[in-house]
Amino acid sequence: MIRKNPFVYYGQKLLIFILSVLLLSVVVFYVSRLAPGDPLVSYYGDRVEKMSVEERRWAEDKLGLNDPIHVQYVRWVENALEGNFGISYKYKMDVLEVIGGRLANTMILGGVGFVLIFVLALGLGIFCAWHEDNWLDRVICKVGTITSCIPEFWLSLVLILIFAVNLRWLPSSGAYSVGNKDDILDRVVHLILPMTVTVVNHLWYYAYMIRNKLLEEVRTEYVLLAKSKGLSKKNILFKHCLRNIIPSYLSIMAISVPHILGGTYIVETVFSYPGIGTLSYESARYQDYNLLMILCILSGIVVILCNMIAQVINERIDPRMRENEIAETSEVTNVG
Amino acid sequence: MDKQFIQVGIRRIPAPATKKTKWYEGKPIVSMVILGIIVLGCVCCDLFIPKDPTYMDLYHTNVAPNGEFWFGTDTMGRDIFSMIWYGGRISLFIGFFATVISTAAAILFGAISGIEPKWLDNLLMRLTDIFLSIPGLLLIIFIQAILGRANVLSISFVIGITGWTSIAKVVRTEVRQIRNSEYVVAARCMGAGFQRILWKHLTPNFISSIMFMVVMNIRGAIAAESTLSFMGIGLSLEVISWGSMLSLADKALLSGSWWIILIPGVFLIATMVAVTNIGNWLRKSANRKESNL
Repeated sequence: MIRKNPFVYYGQKLLIFILSVLLLSVVVFYVSRLAPGDPLVSYYGDRVEKMSVEERRWAEDKLGLNDPIHVQYVRWVENALEGNFGISYKYKMDVLEVIGGRLANTMILGGVGFVLIFVLALGLGIFCAWHEDNWLDRVICKVGTITSCIPEFWLSLVLILIFAVNLRWLPSSGAYSVGNKDDILDRVVHLILPMTVTVVNHLWYYAYMIRNKLLEEVRTEYVLLAKSKGLSKKNILFKHCLRNIIPSYLSIMAISVPHILGGTYIVETVFSYPGIGTLSYESARYQDYNLLMILCILSGIVVILCNMIAQVINERIDPRMRENEIAETSEVTNVG
Repeated sequence: MDKQFIQVGIRRIPAPATKKTKWYEGKPIVSMVILGIIVLGCVCCDLFIPKDPTYMDLYHTNVAPNGEFWFGTDTMGRDIFSMIWYGGRISLFIGFFATVISTAAAILFGAISGIEPKWLDNLLMRLTDIFLSIPGLLLIIFIQAILGRANVLSISFVIGITGWTSIAKVVRTEVRQIRNSEYVVAARCMGAGFQRILWKHLTPNFISSIMFMVVMNIRGAIAAESTLSFMGIGLSLEVISWGSMLSLADKALLSGSWWIILIPGVFLIATMVAVTNIGNWLRKSANRKESNL
């Protein structure tokens, strides 16, 4: 295959990226306005019910809700290009400000969770592959299957029931105690439960994948050759097999970033953790359009970017991949 | 006589001991039995449940498990033992129906994308990516909002319509591999239409590779229903399902009634674990080789 000019190659990627984000914004814009519900309620609260027809019309005009949808969309894009994403109807602040206050919380929960999952899954997968069909492997597999089946919200509930309600060791909600905003220890304590749920929920899926990939690798011919040359098990597993599966693991983990972040949505909601997840849930339920748009676009950018990174990694490893896309997107549980 | 003709250099290799495997070996029997009991119990629940699951007994709210109420009662005074079996019907139905919808959509979408020319394929795959990049939860809230108040059918539809993408990708890859094989070309030459080629020639070939995902989709749908109902976007409290039973959890947390949270959850998870084990077995039985290590 003729190697493409890197500028052309990445230029194409960038073009696809921009087009995808634009298309995403159109879809979200239209779909969110199709949904029935009154955005005025989130702006004016209960006062909406007492408004006269003229007042309503005036309010809708003020928020620009009376124009046809495509006019609204064009206006939104024009403003967005200038960095003005509008105000949140509910919080009556610039949406970027609303998000800015919460982004860090989600980044900590999702980011640290992701790193933990990445490292632990690798370790656990190798451990299980090493002890293939041993009793240890079997027990871990059984326990792992069960933990991966537990819905996030239920695990959160049970942990709250045990550690917050009965034992009273850990707090059940929020990111910090009232008035203790800068206390790092306090924040860590608040993170323990949500983090546990996030990690436990996703860990086995990836560990099992590592285990299976390693076991597949162990059944190839070159391992037989290496073994007949007299290499030790440790040597073969770590120097040969692991090296072969790491790139595909990396690409899978790249795809999984949004998957794991999506999982934190539910965890955040259950623990009322002030992050992006609770915010998007609220904004979608209460028609806070401007906030919703930026949140959808943000998460869309993360997803598309991660998919592209995965694709680039894959193409680097295996040029044949350029033809067909990554089929291995994993089973998708709908929520998160 | 024999001893005179021993051939040098050729050793008789003892035939590998073919162990006779029993019919149940390697099959997830425990999971099948558990799933069987749960499904049978839910389908025939009218025969044995002791109380009316919808009746709110206001004298007995929040009763811990005892002789009369085996699994206790919830905050509205309904008997949890009866609700489990009665509500299981709806949870299982949603799991099943949503999977049917998503599988059908996936096969159709994947097959079109696999057979049709490159530009359409690119467009469809790009759309799939966009679809995937809207967070699942938000997408469900949107679609549910457009459809109006959630009922059993609409929620199955919503879950089904958001859960087809991964199967569609696999179908597409498989179809691209076999669409140029001789028998498909032959069928096309004989004038077979898209429908016939899809169902008679392509589907039988990729069905085994998506079977695992389809089974996993049932699990995903059951989990999604419970999560949605728990968060208050899904079924309302009056429609009994495992998810809507769990939506009483925050009240239960305040009163410390563990049975309201634990018991429906255990049934939910038992079902999901059983389904997962069966799915894993399906995948494993496809290819099993000896280790070289």
